[in-house]
Amino acid sequence: MIRTIVNDKQLLFGILGLIFLLLVAVLAPVIAPEDPYYYGPDVLNKLGENGHLLGTNKMGQDIFSMIIHGTRTSLKVAVISAFISGILGMLIGGVAGYFGGQVDRAISEFINIFMMLPTFFLILLIIALFGNSIYNVMVVIGITTWPSNAKLMRAQALSLRERTFVKAATAMGESRLQILFKYIIPNGVFPVIANTTVGMSNAILTEAGLSFLGLGDPNIISWGQMIYDGKAYLTSAWWIATFAGIAIVITVTIFYLLGDGLNHVMNPKRSKGKGV
Amino acid sequence: MKNDSFICIDNVSMWYPAKGNRVFSGEKRYVKAVDGVSINMDRGEILGIIGESGCGKSTLGRILARLENPTSGDVYIEGESTGNLLKKDPKAFRRLVQIVFQNPYDSFTPRDTIEEILMRPLNIHSIGKDKDERKKIILEALESGGLHPAEEIARRYPHELSGGQLQRISILRAMLVEPKFVIADEPVSMLDVSVRAEIINMLLKLSREKDAAVIFISHDISLTRYISDKVAVMYLGRIVEYGEADEVISNPRHPYTQALISNCGSIDPDEIMDKIKVEGEPPTPINPGPGCYFASRCFKASKECFKEYPATHDVGGGHKVACDRLY
Repeated sequence: MIRTIVNDKQLLFGILGLIFLLLVAVLAPVIAPEDPYYYGPDVLNKLGENGHLLGTNKMGQDIFSMIIHGTRTSLKVAVISAFISGILGMLIGGVAGYFGGQVDRAISEFINIFMMLPTFFLILLIIALFGNSIYNVMVVIGITTWPSNAKLMRAQALSLRERTFVKAATAMGESRLQILFKYIIPNGVFPVIANTTVGMSNAILTEAGLSFLGLGDPNIISWGQMIYDGKAYLTSAWWIATFAGIAIVITVTIFYLLGDGLNHVMNPKRSKGKGV
Repeated sequence: MKNDSFICIDNVSMWYPAKGNRVFSGEKRYVKAVDGVSINMDRGEILGIIGESGCGKSTLGRILARLENPTSGDVYIEGESTGNLLKKDPKAFRRLVQIVFQNPYDSFTPRDTIEEILMRPLNIHSIGKDKDERKKIILEALESGGLHPAEEIARRYPHELSGGQLQRISILRAMLVEPKFVIADEPVSMLDVSVRAEIINMLLKLSREKDAAVIFISHDISLTRYISDKVAVMYLGRIVEYGEADEVISNPRHPYTQALISNCGSIDPDEIMDKIKVEGEPPTPINPGPGCYFASRCFKASKECFKEYPATHDVGGGHKVACDRLY
């Protein structure tokens, strides 16, 4: 177990990065020197001025503290939306692949329709209609990104249902739902897990993109929101937007490495002779 | 053709639609994996089914276990259609009929221990009162199957066991629910020769204890003769010869059976073997015929053989042969 992680550099960095992010999120109040919601007297301070490591914005909020607290938002969005997407994809794809026949045909067409939809515009539409609380954003990202997970799970289920142990379970008298949850999903879920992890980075990007367009939750500190606020000051106070952008890049990279590394480890065929 | 035999396989066919159906001529083509098979079996009888690969043996096995539904015909157990039995009470039917598969390495989910795997059928069919009693049943079964120490084996995962051990467990699992009809689909063909005999004996012992009828599907003629009461020879989805095992093997009447048996190797190098040569590949099971399916490879074939599928003749003592040129 540990050896596989150490051998795959991508997975190693991904896991170390994830631990780092989790520590930052959990210890945010300890690490951050100020309350990020505190509107102080130091407005638009430069880097290091008045003890503000990364300066302040127009409201006098400490940028460093905001970035640290923004980690919580990003991780929450990543985990919850990817979880929704993973569960939906797993169930829908599993049912399609294992039940087959007409059910499969109907669900596959449904998946194709969803894949054709321009996701980001769908999200924009839903946010515009139902409001922009952070939970809306999470749910919406979740229910628009499940089709890729469903396709993976369906392919797994299609091959698993021909395996002897599934036929043996049928002959043993297990019901179709029992087989789906006991044999098909547990044995075919690994590619979905890897894909979901990559999906987490996309979720972070989508949330940042929404915030950047001004459709994020204004009551919560998020990196996208910071870039949105900072873009007006880009020439005079570049630090407001820049460091939030760097934080997004780092976090997305970590989740990408994690997902790709998991993919390598779980599909040994693909990682052969591919040094990273 | 329902009758009072314990198991009655009545004119069972399995036709799969072939790829590349011609759309314009409207002609539908089928792969006739199993084509009109009828056999009767008694309680506790052991029937061997032999034939080369691709002749539909395994498909027949899967139909008997109702893992697939036949395109026509039906299988009756004590006069009741298995299709109806399965619809009426799936669990009861699954307890009645069990199947042992060819590949023991793939017969168990890789994520569970042997104990968890064997616990499933007991839970589903409510065998044993509580968890402790079920565990006791499992350990006893493992011991009786020669898997020592049972406690240790029960804790293992399938990939930690050998093929022989896994196939024993596969047989034990099938027997845990006390079926009356067991289909063994080439249960030892993937195993080492050295463990085959023990596993076959174990299967026979268990089925005799429970008085279960067994269908033993195999391409190993000598093995089939050794264990079965009756033998059926299959060729391209049809039964070409059927009868008492010793009678069919020592006195084969169908040219295909004769060729098959004459090509069966003997361990004695001095034995003079007069092999019957069979030329060519078997014809595809997509619309074979008209005429006898074996005619194109048969050493006895005449012009008539290519015209119509031969009738089945009883040559005495229930020995049936589907060939018109017996004499």
